[in-house]
Amino acid sequence: MNDPTAQGRTAPQTGSPAAENIEYRVAHLHDRLAAEELGELGVRAEIRAGAVAITGTVPSGRCRETLLRIVREELTGLTVHTDVVVAETAGPDHAEEL
Amino acid sequence: MIRVAAVGDIHMGPDSQGLLRPAFETLSEVADLLLLAGDLTRHGTPQEARVVAEEVRDLPVPVVAVLGNHDHHDEQPDKVAAILRDADVTVLEGEGTVVECAGTRVGIAGAKGFGGGFVGRSAGEFGEPLMKEFVRTTRRSADSLRTALEELGGRDCAVRIALTHFSPVADTLAGEPPEIYPFLGSYLLAEAIDTAGADLAVHGHAHLGTEHGMTAGGVRVRNVAQPVIRRAFNVYRLNAA
Repeated sequence: MNDPTAQGRTAPQTGSPAAENIEYRVAHLHDRLAAEELGELGVRAEIRAGAVAITGTVPSGRCRETLLRIVREELTGLTVHTDVVVAETAGPDHAEEL
Repeated sequence: MIRVAAVGDIHMGPDSQGLLRPAFETLSEVADLLLLAGDLTRHGTPQEARVVAEEVRDLPVPVVAVLGNHDHHDEQPDKVAAILRDADVTVLEGEGTVVECAGTRVGIAGAKGFGGGFVGRSAGEFGEPLMKEFVRTTRRSADSLRTALEELGGRDCAVRIALTHFSPVADTLAGEPPEIYPFLGSYLLAEAIDTAGADLAVHGHAHLGTEHGMTAGGVRVRNVAQPVIRRAFNVYRLNAA
């Protein structure tokens, strides 16, 4: 696993200006989503009007639960809006003619 | 008429088993073959690869795949490919294969591809060794794709398809942040496709992108990342030459 928290990265101390900086917190959320069980690179976390909007598509309902748990842990105290959908698994209802 | 089913970025894990199988079992009614455009797993572990293998084992149509960057994360891509091959998936990396579909020969050239960006906004083979190796990795992949397509040109194929994970064009990245385009694909792949010729290029990787695009040489490109097509797969009907 490529876990940046296990490779000597020094997290800002709680309460320091850097630790409270919303941009770095969003960056660290991205790090965790990629490094931990989800291996998730396709979800966006964007700062909008002081809140964080989480959007994207994940492979399963369980992945969405895990994602939302990690988001809650990383962004505690921030206003978070989520719109994360589970990938659809039905077959197509038509083909494209090329 | 060749009916090509394709999907990428299915990102299967232990909780995914059986999610796509019901749709895949309808393939014989709607398609002649299934292309898998990489990122079949989340971390590229053998355990995840076995989930994918069971999902596509004994399907009623041939299955041809390339791996994606996620399938390399655990640094066992050969093992992932071997597990898929045990389930009769043809896994391509810089090579081609010919599939017989209803009496028609369909050639598929496959390579994972890599990043670097698009003309005017691309990484160059210059500077630090790591930077040069980054671009050379893409160039080697593109060269192998071109060679595979050219070889298929001499094997009496009615249709040739380029299958990659990374995108050959920026068109199908629309919706992704422009700043990350260099991590999503490379014009070198499109140049290879246009140089050798192909009837269709299929890729994945860009979850926020769009389905339709075209190379500078006029080859149609389709981004089949599952979050983009919002289906278990899409089907493209191609007229054989």
